[in-house]
Amino acid sequence: MINMAKGLSRREFLYRVAAVGGTSLLLNTLNAWGSGIQSNANAPPRLTGSGKGKTVIILGAGVAGMSAAYELGQLGYDCRILEARSFAGGRCQTARRGVTIKEYGGESQTCDFDEGLYINHGPWRIPFNHQSTLYYTRLFQVPLEIMVNDNDTAYVYKDGGADPLANRRIRQVEIKADMRGHVAELLAKAIKSNKLDQELTANDKTLLLDYLVHEGHLSRSDLQYRGNSGRGYKVNPGAGMVPGPGIPSDPLGFQDLLASRLGNVYSAVHDFEQQATMFQPTDGMDAIAKAFEKRVGKNIRYNTVVRAIHQNETGVSVEYRDGNGGEGGVIKGDFCLCTIPLSILGGIEADFSPKFKQAMKSVSYAPVGKIGLQMKRRFWEEDDFIYGGHILTNTTGIGAISLPSTGWQSQKGVLLGYYNFEGEAAEISALSLRERTEFALAAGEKIFPAYRESFESAFSVAWHRVPYNLGAWADWTDASRKNAYPILFEGEGRVLLAGEHMSYLPGWQAGAIESAWQQIAKIHQRIGA
Amino acid sequence: MQYVSEIKCRRLAAARCFLGALFLSCLPASAEEINGKALFLKNCSACHQVDGQGIPDAFPALAGNAFVHASANDVASLLLTGRSGMPNFSKRLSDQDIAAIVSYIRNAWGNRGTDIASAQVATLRAELHADMVDATPQNNRH
Repeated sequence: MINMAKGLSRREFLYRVAAVGGTSLLLNTLNAWGSGIQSNANAPPRLTGSGKGKTVIILGAGVAGMSAAYELGQLGYDCRILEARSFAGGRCQTARRGVTIKEYGGESQTCDFDEGLYINHGPWRIPFNHQSTLYYTRLFQVPLEIMVNDNDTAYVYKDGGADPLANRRIRQVEIKADMRGHVAELLAKAIKSNKLDQELTANDKTLLLDYLVHEGHLSRSDLQYRGNSGRGYKVNPGAGMVPGPGIPSDPLGFQDLLASRLGNVYSAVHDFEQQATMFQPTDGMDAIAKAFEKRVGKNIRYNTVVRAIHQNETGVSVEYRDGNGGEGGVIKGDFCLCTIPLSILGGIEADFSPKFKQAMKSVSYAPVGKIGLQMKRRFWEEDDFIYGGHILTNTTGIGAISLPSTGWQSQKGVLLGYYNFEGEAAEISALSLRERTEFALAAGEKIFPAYRESFESAFSVAWHRVPYNLGAWADWTDASRKNAYPILFEGEGRVLLAGEHMSYLPGWQAGAIESAWQQIAKIHQRIGA
Repeated sequence: MQYVSEIKCRRLAAARCFLGALFLSCLPASAEEINGKALFLKNCSACHQVDGQGIPDAFPALAGNAFVHASANDVASLLLTGRSGMPNFSKRLSDQDIAAIVSYIRNAWGNRGTDIASAQVATLRAELHADMVDATPQNNRH
């Protein structure tokens, strides 16, 4: 509970995605292509010529590796994909019945959700502006549905503290209506009493007052905020005399709202990558992995763990071992596109220069944890009328409780019980599987009385302990972006790197795809030159 | 072996008490060690394991680790910047926390090394341009 007030004031509940997303991404994309290759992050590079007779070794059958293989395959390249796991997709995974995972230092875990239920324990959303991901879902006809990323009806729960709004569940919409209403009232009254005359012309004043009355649902006559239907009723309106018109609700007090800092759960707009329209594949995120695998799977060698990467002026050779204890070997190619996370690549023997190795090592990876909880009853829908979206809480180690955007009004559902990062993720991941579940249930039952009694089974992941990942995504800092990123982006000799880590969209599939697009264009250009 | 390391710890604690007594009192030493251990268990043990033995090919053993032995400054710097699979703890852990953890791991499981003061960690934090502590959890990204 340390520093709760401060935390809240710094947008504790907010969807924080790099505000640099927009322009830096664009500039990066534009600069990176160069050499007359058309810049376009919405579709793969339009490459001409043929790659026939040339071999590209692709390390990793994740979304980056498979999009590279798909595009290079169209040009006639012979792509050989080495994949350490027994399945394709990399982090693009979905936990459903029978899926197993064993973290380093952890117990074996087999998902025993009911058939048809799942949790996307890796990537779980696709924003409308990630046109590269959406390019492939459209091309491969992967069915999508709306992912409810924004639900005003969902609760916010301030855990701990003594202010009047703490330790109770409040619907986010109440905060939105009341905070904006009170602020609009204050500003409107200041304008009306000529306190802002220095800033505003007479005409501005009229126009701004009109806006504030509309924005805050103020009474036009006295500029008071007295609540409005949008914040909800005590008794909803209906038929006949009772409930008839219903009973209006009372706004939360301005002082209470200020003291709680709960107003900070809202910003004028969401950050770039969290805005509606948000999508998810209809049957789990791994539908994307499977769609790629259907097309490039014949080129994938599974259970193949890279041991060493060597190269000379004419080609690359990759030494591997068989993950099942079978015979290893060496594979040779003209170029290598390496999509192995830097957290893993740093530990693989390679004849990279000391400068390149240092750059790889200087990037740390983010600890991230998620837990899926199967509930035998969709109490959030049945009791609380919340359909998808996120319950926002400041409970340390929980972050958000996210409700499923699929299977509406069916009997059961899997919700996301926590989504934690960095130090909190490190801490929760030290717990046993049973303790992780208990931790999640204890937090959830504060908000939903039926939480614990409805619980049936759990599946949790701590990405920093997952073999072949050791982290959820590259955790760039200003320093590593400046000192390491440009070096890594250039690759070395005939080995180029791709993946979310080679983008300004870290942790997003779009970053993986777009970086693959950039790097294959470079390979194609060098082979053709 | 454990017996030996316990004696060593006690001896170190005693030495610190003596130095500490010049300024304050004898109290903080053992409290600091307990704190270091608790912080280690909370923040580090998921990967490096409770016994400091790590996991082969994934997380280095801290017990008997040459890097841990060599320089308290380097270990503290690593916590402040991260490296490969090792996360960056600069936002999560205060200078005091980092000092306590580094001092703990340099003297646990048979390791033996000098402690590091939180003031020194603060200096490193500034030199490395590492982030300041920020208790704000990063919620709901990606």
